[in-house]
Amino acid sequence: MAAFFLALVWFVSMRQAVLFLVGVGMGGVLAGARFGFTTGWRRLIEQRDPRGVMAQLFLMALAAAVSMPLLAAFPHDLGAALGPPSISLIVGAFVFGAAMQMADGCGSGTLYKAGLGIPLNMAILPVFALGSFLGSAQLEQWLTLGAVAPVGLVGRFGPWEALGLTCLGLAILGAAARLWCGKAKPWFDRRLFIGAVLLAILAVLNLAIAGQPWGVVYGFGLWVAKIAVATGAFDPAANPFWSQPVNLTTLSQSVFLDVTSITNIGILAGALWIAAGQASTSASASLTARQWTVGIIAGFLLGYSSRLAFGCNIGAMVSGISTGSVHGWIWVPLAFCGSVLGLRIRRHFGY
Amino acid sequence: MKKPMLAAVFWALLIAFFAWDWAVSAPVNQRLEPPLIAAGSGQAPSGGHCASTF
Repeated sequence: MAAFFLALVWFVSMRQAVLFLVGVGMGGVLAGARFGFTTGWRRLIEQRDPRGVMAQLFLMALAAAVSMPLLAAFPHDLGAALGPPSISLIVGAFVFGAAMQMADGCGSGTLYKAGLGIPLNMAILPVFALGSFLGSAQLEQWLTLGAVAPVGLVGRFGPWEALGLTCLGLAILGAAARLWCGKAKPWFDRRLFIGAVLLAILAVLNLAIAGQPWGVVYGFGLWVAKIAVATGAFDPAANPFWSQPVNLTTLSQSVFLDVTSITNIGILAGALWIAAGQASTSASASLTARQWTVGIIAGFLLGYSSRLAFGCNIGAMVSGISTGSVHGWIWVPLAFCGSVLGLRIRRHFGY
Repeated sequence: MKKPMLAAVFWALLIAFFAWDWAVSAPVNQRLEPPLIAAGSGQAPSGGHCASTF
């Protein structure tokens, strides 16, 4: 890991090396604290346990409290995670919510669990990437179904008003979770809240260093797009998404220069580091062929739907909401409804 | 496939992909190195992001 960091400093750039370390921190915290977005939602729905979701809400509030003033102070240098409210967002978020329960991992969850060496998530990662590429390649067709321009709360109302609205929205979600679970249920988990604080710090560092919020799925799509272009299977110049100058540039460069790819690699490495520090990992229950098939299909859907939804739980939910994008607020209820369906499918296949 | 074997294949494929990509991609132009910290650099963000339509 140290050798890779030094190689990035020497051969690529200091910024990418530091972003790699930020990614290692993210992977370490996600794996070390077992900060699972999917698991938090599952426990809320099935066990009426709000602790995971409360930590997620706290993470977004903390990240927003720093990110929104930063975006207002440096409007030219930093960009929010602004996705357009659209038909594709509605479909994509719902499907993503269902698929993440079937695949037992969202965007960040698939990465850190693959880094930990969990077989299903390691197998899912390539098909997640394939889905992400195909979703991005077909994004233009989905957008023609209906979309409006992205809405950013910071630009529209100012940073403090945007932060107030965001905290109000998060507080309403927290109150709804407590109402659903009952006031007697514990809502605070020290390990998860420490994880939330650390992830919020790392997310803000990502924004300040890279100039854009934390994201996961763009990197996956880029990796497959590079293979597709190299094999002659795909012409980026003929595709509305990949022919954009920013994407043509990233296609021509090493993935080590892509900010999303480098934090993804860091998350994998951070989780591997945590796995190496564990003396013995408990043997996971082996899956049946049918469960493997369902998991792999769900992994593909994760990738495809996350592009339609303009991000996964990280790019759309954490980054979208903490940087004031309205699309993040549309993503959450739809993905939650999808999760309710995904849990029924999960139970049907006996996971 | 056993778990350690699957993990070995996973990491081998990943490293092979990054090595191949490094070999075939345009060389890094260190004269165009991005600023260490974007905030306050005066440069607009230039990377792709999953929330953007481009």
